[in-house]
Amino acid sequence: MNEPSKGISVGCTENRVYVRVVGRGTFQNSQPLRLFALQKADQGQREFVVDLGDCQGMDSTFLGVLAGIGLRLRQNGNPAAIHIVNISPRNLDLLQTLGLDRLFTMNSSAPPPLAETDYRKLPDTDLTQLTHSLDKDETTDLMIEAHDNLVRADERNALKFRELARFLREAIERRRRNQETRK
Amino acid sequence: MKDFCIVPEPHGPVQLIRLSGSLDMFSFPRLEAQLNAFFQQGRYFVVLDCQELDYIGSAGLGALIGFAKLAREHNGDVRLLSVPDRIYKIIELLGFTRVLHVHNTEEDAVASFATK
Repeated sequence: MNEPSKGISVGCTENRVYVRVVGRGTFQNSQPLRLFALQKADQGQREFVVDLGDCQGMDSTFLGVLAGIGLRLRQNGNPAAIHIVNISPRNLDLLQTLGLDRLFTMNSSAPPPLAETDYRKLPDTDLTQLTHSLDKDETTDLMIEAHDNLVRADERNALKFRELARFLREAIERRRRNQETRK
Repeated sequence: MKDFCIVPEPHGPVQLIRLSGSLDMFSFPRLEAQLNAFFQQGRYFVVLDCQELDYIGSAGLGALIGFAKLAREHNGDVRLLSVPDRIYKIIELLGFTRVLHVHNTEEDAVASFATK
């Protein structure tokens, strides 16, 4: 049997969105997932299943994007609409450390899995291949939004990511000043 | 996935720390504890050898900036050595190299503190 390729794959049924992470979930593949998930939420999808069975790890930006999806669904009046399935003890520890276990349901009453053939892979955002400053700026914006989501999910995260948040906001301030200078 | 490993190696006043494996949110607290221990001993000249590092997360980079700032308040620094190309391209693109000094050789990294 072929092993699923590394990256983020997604699929949908009428009532459910499926996300599968193979390898690492990082800031390099977070943006396509964010855009896809928010589009699906806007289209009325209210239940997400995130399969972490082949996930080797997640960085804070990726977790912040997941948190953002959970917070968006909560805004729509559906608490615990994200099911995390097949999670390893290591990844569970990460979610608990950031207080995200309260935002999601873990392995309990998991919906039926999606057929392999119904998944499609999302593109990675390979930063090493990017040349446009806009993409870099978009990544900075994504990282800020993701870490703000982590703080919204659990205010204790503010201290954990204080230096990163400060660095990113300084980068945005430099960008703003440069743009003003160019005008 | 390789286990994260920290091997401290003193070079006179400079504290070299060889890192291997993945530096993520799960492993970073170990490095954090090691850096705090050195700072408590008054050792603020730190070089992190990243040659065997296969991954570093954004939160880890952010936290390293915090440690570098703290070290600089004591006339020291936290500097990076032999950052693998795939990691370097990303940290450069995101601008982390504006605040974290990166060296290509151990000699350069250790000698860079001689001017302090």
